[in-house]
Amino acid sequence: MEARALVVDAVNKSFGDKHVVKNVSFQAQAGEILGILGPNGAGKTTTIRMIMGITAPDSGNIIFEMNGTQTRTVPKDLVGYLPEERGLYKEARVMQILLFLASLKNVPRHLAKQRAARWLAKFELEEYANAKVEQLSKGMAQKVQFIAAVLHEPKFIVLDEPFSGLDPVSQDLFKEEIRQLAASGAVVLLSSHQMNIVEELCDRIFLIDHGREVVSGRLADIKERYGNYRVYVDAPLGVDSLMRLPTVAGWEQVSEERWIIFLRDDARLEEFFHQIPLDAGLRELRVIRPSLHDIFVKIATGREIA
Amino acid sequence: MRDIWKVARWEFMRNVTNKQFIIGLLITPIIMVAFAGLPALLERWNQPAQVTYYVLDEAGVLPVLREGAPDNLTFAVPTDPAEIEQEVRDADAAGYLVVRSDFVETGTVDLVLNEMSSEGRSYIQAVLTQYLQQHRMQHSDLDWEALQYVTAPTKIRVGTLPHVELPVGEEIAVSTVFVLLVFILVFSSGTMLMQSALQEKRDRMAEVVLSSISPGALMQGKILGHFLLGVLQLAFWLILIIPAAVMLLDFPVGEALMKADLGKLAFFGLGAYLLYAALFVGMGATMEDLQSAGNSQGMVIMLPMLSFLFIAPVVSNPNGVVAVLASIFPFTSSVIMIVRSSMVSVPLWQMVLSAGLLVLTAAALAMMSAKIFRVGMLMYGKTASMSEIVKWLRYKEE
Repeated sequence: MEARALVVDAVNKSFGDKHVVKNVSFQAQAGEILGILGPNGAGKTTTIRMIMGITAPDSGNIIFEMNGTQTRTVPKDLVGYLPEERGLYKEARVMQILLFLASLKNVPRHLAKQRAARWLAKFELEEYANAKVEQLSKGMAQKVQFIAAVLHEPKFIVLDEPFSGLDPVSQDLFKEEIRQLAASGAVVLLSSHQMNIVEELCDRIFLIDHGREVVSGRLADIKERYGNYRVYVDAPLGVDSLMRLPTVAGWEQVSEERWIIFLRDDARLEEFFHQIPLDAGLRELRVIRPSLHDIFVKIATGREIA
Repeated sequence: MRDIWKVARWEFMRNVTNKQFIIGLLITPIIMVAFAGLPALLERWNQPAQVTYYVLDEAGVLPVLREGAPDNLTFAVPTDPAEIEQEVRDADAAGYLVVRSDFVETGTVDLVLNEMSSEGRSYIQAVLTQYLQQHRMQHSDLDWEALQYVTAPTKIRVGTLPHVELPVGEEIAVSTVFVLLVFILVFSSGTMLMQSALQEKRDRMAEVVLSSISPGALMQGKILGHFLLGVLQLAFWLILIIPAAVMLLDFPVGEALMKADLGKLAFFGLGAYLLYAALFVGMGATMEDLQSAGNSQGMVIMLPMLSFLFIAPVVSNPNGVVAVLASIFPFTSSVIMIVRSSMVSVPLWQMVLSAGLLVLTAAALAMMSAKIFRVGMLMYGKTASMSEIVKWLRYKEE
């Protein structure tokens, strides 16, 4: 079993009489990318800020484990943070900002300079090292923000909506870097509304809504649990014979001869196929597993996946 | 402490290389000199116009009138008394004065004006009154010497008890300059501090920085950084002002500094800076931008001006109730205590009470501002209302 690197244990947070994080618990291992998902206002940012030590939980513990030792104090030099509300000092120069932020993480100046130059080159920004931030495009600024979050080689990284506003090429670049950060042994917490990217990158997800955990676990397990199969059928004779099957939970007519059949959450595909009568008169049949996007919508809104 | 210093250095370096700061540094002394020099310049421009009166002098007062007349006042004799009106018009004179031979008896002269101007009139009246009184007295039966004795004015001889030192001009001058410097420091650094907190929010950097250091360290670093900037600014200006004061005004700067109580000045100056710095940085954290500052924020920004409301009553009565209260009330005490103590010797209990209250208020404000700053720096999109700020103060954190 891999080492637990981050443990969030029964954490609560209120602002005045507003209870925004309710008894939230999860864990993350070194080398793992954990997706933290949730609708707007679900309590994600507050949870993340508590992990980053920006606000303190009212109760519960956040434990960081490294090299066999545990600490409840946020190891600020070892956490890297790309917040959702982010920017850069507009009048300052790129290298100045990177060196200042690295100095706050206690990285020696010469080392910070070397690393900054390497990262800027990686993102093809070396010629902008002495440019003022106001001269950068939005995408360029986002790359500088990303560099600032990882320049001190953190062991715990929180990336909140790192892909928003990025072009597809830059998105791929970021994805690759995030994978490498995890491969180097860091814990990466990734929050994003772009479910396809989360699905691509994350090993596990933690879904929060109204301040509570809604679901968490391995992506495949969650799909197994919540992603009931949808069967698209083209049936000129109708689907009466299918509706009576024990594996079927519901149906919806799309057009005169086309239906969507929803299988029960616990239904196995083989079982359903086995139950289809030989005289069902099907012309076409497609089985679809819902995407993480669909599951997210289903959980967040409580609606059935269409 | 290291984090505070890092932020202070960043704020200092970032601003000291900023064009706006450099322009302000160079332009402010020019503006100050302009403001100081403007009244003198206006005075020069506003020299009184040349005024001429023609005098029909039957009583022989002309030499007396001419003797002490100001430079701009001329008394002329008409070439032809019958044509005096024409002559006055031609010469564009102010008018003419008729002093008849029975002036000493009637005590009346006639002044005929060419234009509605009172220029010189009070001089004429004063000189002729004196002339009249002297003549009447000399020709009366009254004893001239006795009269002089009776009407002599009181002379006041000023002395002090052996242990009392009356304030000397140098000390008042140093205190006045110091009060001005403190005020500039509080106002310019305070506003810059507030803007710095605003910028941190506007540029969306607060969250990243706060994931590395505590809000307290960020706030204190900003206060320290801007204090150093302010001191640099003042030092630069003083380097310009001191030689100018020595050379142009012949002011003994060294001697004056020796006489001033620099420790007291530094204590109250620093106290005022810290108090207002805490207040301004906290306010900055509650705002989205300067334009959206509400009434409460606007009032806080104007608070340093409060001291200046009290300066006139304090100078006219430095031991009065207003002066005593204003030199103890922490929001005005720094400026007023410096002004007051340069004029009179302030009782020790008042000095101690004022200093104690200043320190306590500054500390309390720093603590409140830290709380406001902690929450405010992470709030985006709007300026907080007073009730929200009060709510933030009640949040418990660690």
